[in-house]
Amino acid sequence: MKDSPARITLEEWDARYAELRVAGLREPWYGGPLRRHVDEGGDYRLLRLRYDNSAAALRLWNFLLTEEDRLKEARRQGKKLVGAMKDLGTVPVMAYSLANVTAFYPDGAWWIPCVMELSSRDLEIADSLGIDESFCPVRAMLGAFLTEAHFPIPDLLTCNVGATCDDFSAIAQRLNGLGFPILWWETPHRRQPDSAAGEESVPLPGGLIAPREQVDFVRSELERVRGAIEEVAGGRLDDAALRDGIRVANRMRRVLAELRQLAYSAPVCPIPALEMLIAEMLALHFCSDREEAIRVLEELLEEARRRVGEGVGPLRKDAVRVFWVNPVADLRAMNILEDCGGRVCGTEYLFSHALDPIPEDVAPMEALARTALADPMVGPCSDRADRICRDIQLFGAEAVLVSRIPGASHCAVEGAVIHETVRKRLGLPVQEIEVPPLCDAVAPTIRTRIEALIEIVKGRRKP
Amino acid sequence: MSSVLYTCPFVPAEWILAHGLSPQRFLPSPSRDGDVFAGVGEGICPFARAAVETACTEPGAAALVATTTCDQMRRAAEFAEAYGRLPVFLMHVPSSWESAGAHRYYRGELKRLGRFLEEVGGRVPSSEDLAAAMEDLDAARGALLDARPGMTSSQFAGAVAEFHRGGVLPAGLPAKGNEVGSGVPLALVGSPFFEGHLEVFDLIERLGGRVALDATTSGEGSWPRPFSRRRLREDPFDELADAYFGSIPDAFRRPNSLLYQWLKRELQTRGIRGIIFRRYVWCDTWHAEAQRMKEWCGMPMLILEPEDDARLRARGISRIEAFMEVLR
Amino acid sequence: MIFGGIDAGSRAIKAVLWDLKRGEVLASGVCDQGVRQEALAHDLFQKLLDDAGIGADDVERTVATGYGRNLIGFADATITEITCHARGVRHLAPEARTVIDIGGQDSKVIRLSAKGMVQDFAMNDRCAAGTGRFLEVVSARLGVEAGELGDLASRSISPAPISSMCVVFAETEIVGLLASGAPPEDIVAGVQHSIAQRVAGMAGRNVEEPVLFTGGVALVSGMAAALEAVFKKPVRVAANPQFTGALGAALLAASHS
Repeated sequence: MKDSPARITLEEWDARYAELRVAGLREPWYGGPLRRHVDEGGDYRLLRLRYDNSAAALRLWNFLLTEEDRLKEARRQGKKLVGAMKDLGTVPVMAYSLANVTAFYPDGAWWIPCVMELSSRDLEIADSLGIDESFCPVRAMLGAFLTEAHFPIPDLLTCNVGATCDDFSAIAQRLNGLGFPILWWETPHRRQPDSAAGEESVPLPGGLIAPREQVDFVRSELERVRGAIEEVAGGRLDDAALRDGIRVANRMRRVLAELRQLAYSAPVCPIPALEMLIAEMLALHFCSDREEAIRVLEELLEEARRRVGEGVGPLRKDAVRVFWVNPVADLRAMNILEDCGGRVCGTEYLFSHALDPIPEDVAPMEALARTALADPMVGPCSDRADRICRDIQLFGAEAVLVSRIPGASHCAVEGAVIHETVRKRLGLPVQEIEVPPLCDAVAPTIRTRIEALIEIVKGRRKP
Repeated sequence: MSSVLYTCPFVPAEWILAHGLSPQRFLPSPSRDGDVFAGVGEGICPFARAAVETACTEPGAAALVATTTCDQMRRAAEFAEAYGRLPVFLMHVPSSWESAGAHRYYRGELKRLGRFLEEVGGRVPSSEDLAAAMEDLDAARGALLDARPGMTSSQFAGAVAEFHRGGVLPAGLPAKGNEVGSGVPLALVGSPFFEGHLEVFDLIERLGGRVALDATTSGEGSWPRPFSRRRLREDPFDELADAYFGSIPDAFRRPNSLLYQWLKRELQTRGIRGIIFRRYVWCDTWHAEAQRMKEWCGMPMLILEPEDDARLRARGISRIEAFMEVLR
Repeated sequence: MIFGGIDAGSRAIKAVLWDLKRGEVLASGVCDQGVRQEALAHDLFQKLLDDAGIGADDVERTVATGYGRNLIGFADATITEITCHARGVRHLAPEARTVIDIGGQDSKVIRLSAKGMVQDFAMNDRCAAGTGRFLEVVSARLGVEAGELGDLASRSISPAPISSMCVVFAETEIVGLLASGAPPEDIVAGVQHSIAQRVAGMAGRNVEEPVLFTGGVALVSGMAAALEAVFKKPVRVAANPQFTGALGAALLAASHS
């Protein structure tokens, strides 16, 4: 059996899977060959991707691609489903603190058009509702709700609004207008405390600060969410339960932090970019199974540790170290970076607040309010750019790739701010690409930009 | 008197006036040579861009007040602050409005705005200052509405813009009288105007229509309800906050049901027979409402994407001509 | 030793033979792009060899660049057009710090270090606005040759604002302007200004001088002036601007040999 780390195709995974089975691979209930997701699930994009060849990666992919089954099973078991929209990391921590509640992000539907190569027709449904391609690909969520083909309709839908992005807010409003009740909760635009006015400065995760008034407001908003969860769940979501929930969430965040540190700073990249993207996404809502998500990450971490210890990995040793900004609508884009000779060394996928530990030294609702206010989208672009610069230095990246999300209202301005800040402060090259849900038609364009970025860095490496 | 520029209807002119400053709710002029957004490519709303560039080149402007009712303006304000050479205040106007917390937050933001206004040269307002400003502007809005039947829709739109810009009633308003406007009654709904966009009112009149309802973010639909005289005397600040935050219908609110409730009432009351819906390219907030409104309104609706240079272009004119032919 | 550079752009294929010993271009040529890219590039390259009186075996190494670079099978290596343009500019004008390259269907702005290395770049290769295509459209509409555009534009007193983001709709706008009696010179000036503005939007702040203009559109009179007006800095047109990328590819072929 070839155990050298490699990126392999789905066809190669068929053979690899057979090898692993012969070697005694033990899988959870959702395990199996990756190909079945194509044959049974219509996830045709898998045919065009390249994957890490480890058993840990197989488990990760199977875990991701069976989320729909878990949600249906949760509904069948009588659990209450909370669909948390937009906040990316806070409401699920609350929801999972109750044993009979499962939470997920309907926002995750944005990958359905990619994974199913548009066969799910969710984007067509969005088009028919007047939400066309000038909106973020998360508009696929509208199709998902109307067809009920990907997840059961949640018992409670929450949506974070205020200092978020207009297109998501508009899409959620459209959903509401179609008859889906939504509990709207607000996060204000994060600002600096005004010390001259006597405003107390409250520390937030990620090294940020905010005025006490803002933290108190968000806490009051989250209390409304807590009340709604309690009503749906038919039980109390008390502080003790929340503390436990926060502890479990932080356990996952610690595993992920170590994995990121290894993957992004090891001399030889141990885990490819696509698997790392999925791993980070698990932080949002545990892919609908909190304990299993942690086990999946722990297995991936173990594989990463082994590879780092042996100095091996699936990519070239001289791969150019690229810091990646924003998540991609087409998973293939992560492959393209590595095909061009790059590796991801650091990421900012717009949910850094879901990666930083939730404070455990303050009351739980206070802690969650601080976490929600640390959302990178909620504050000025300059805060985000600052964090990116710090992490670039932490992980030793040599270049920055900003992936614009088509239609997202924040991207036009943020890209310019990030670009300018990185250029001035660190002198690194920055390049923007735009990645639609299927990037095949624009792959040459994307490749040219990435290749040029790689060439720049390699030119700078020469003495 | 130093002027404080803004475009958002949720910024109370009364509050600025009470601080001894001149509130200037302006219509941007398209700027081709501004450098505030150098390096920003496609994707920025032309209104947000022009609003910042206009404000940053306005002589005598003491400050720009932007709000978070629109993410594009929220981001544009950051650029204005960094590169615009003008003090900028970004006011968070809560999208959610159904909780007491949101109302309290809005009040807090008004007070924070007040501190900013003092920093840029305003005085500390007394309750009497505020009450007086509220009475004056409330009366002015009422007078404009009373004068409306005696004005064509383009005259009224011009008067509203002038009132917004200066905070005083334009001279020569007709006395309350009979309806002079004829033509098919239409509603304009959607994005705010650029300076030159008011010519659409003239065009509609020439084509046999009249704008009986301006439900754009620039029109009288963006005004607060009339103030309660009692509450204005007892607690003007509270009444100001309630009226502004509690009554202005807008697409950005979550939920935005108030907009539809208000529109339903106004469309019926004014006998509207068609809607011209305006939204800028890259304006997600209004764009997302277009189809929904078309399905909801039960009458002919034209969707326009106004140009960002304040001129009605041939294709916009053609669309309006065709629409009027349908209605006539 | 002879080295080859091929720039397979989206509208035209350019090729250069570089004589390393003499330090000069031995031959250069251009042909229209087409479906059979490799065959077209091969024919062009063969013509250069014939013009230079040498055979294919005399060429030590060839680098392909441009949009179609991966289709040029006979090239020894591919390098992106950004790096190749930078190398070409370093040879032609080593003092240049900003390169504006406008081709038939794309445009780029490249920032160079004092040593001529690429520091940063921005590209537009998805939208015809801001490219030579826009000039083709206005030439066709006005019935003038590209070479006449500069003279026309220089007579403009008030450039017509062209607001459409899309060249297709801009063409409709031009028709409307003509119908309304707008002078052709104002239209041309407006189009050139529009292209320059789009490029300036890509360039961002802090454009460092000297600024060098390359690409086929640099040959269109009036464009450099339009860029100067928008950038408010002198803009110099490179010698043989259409061949900068192919020259850079040949020079890189030599340095990698």
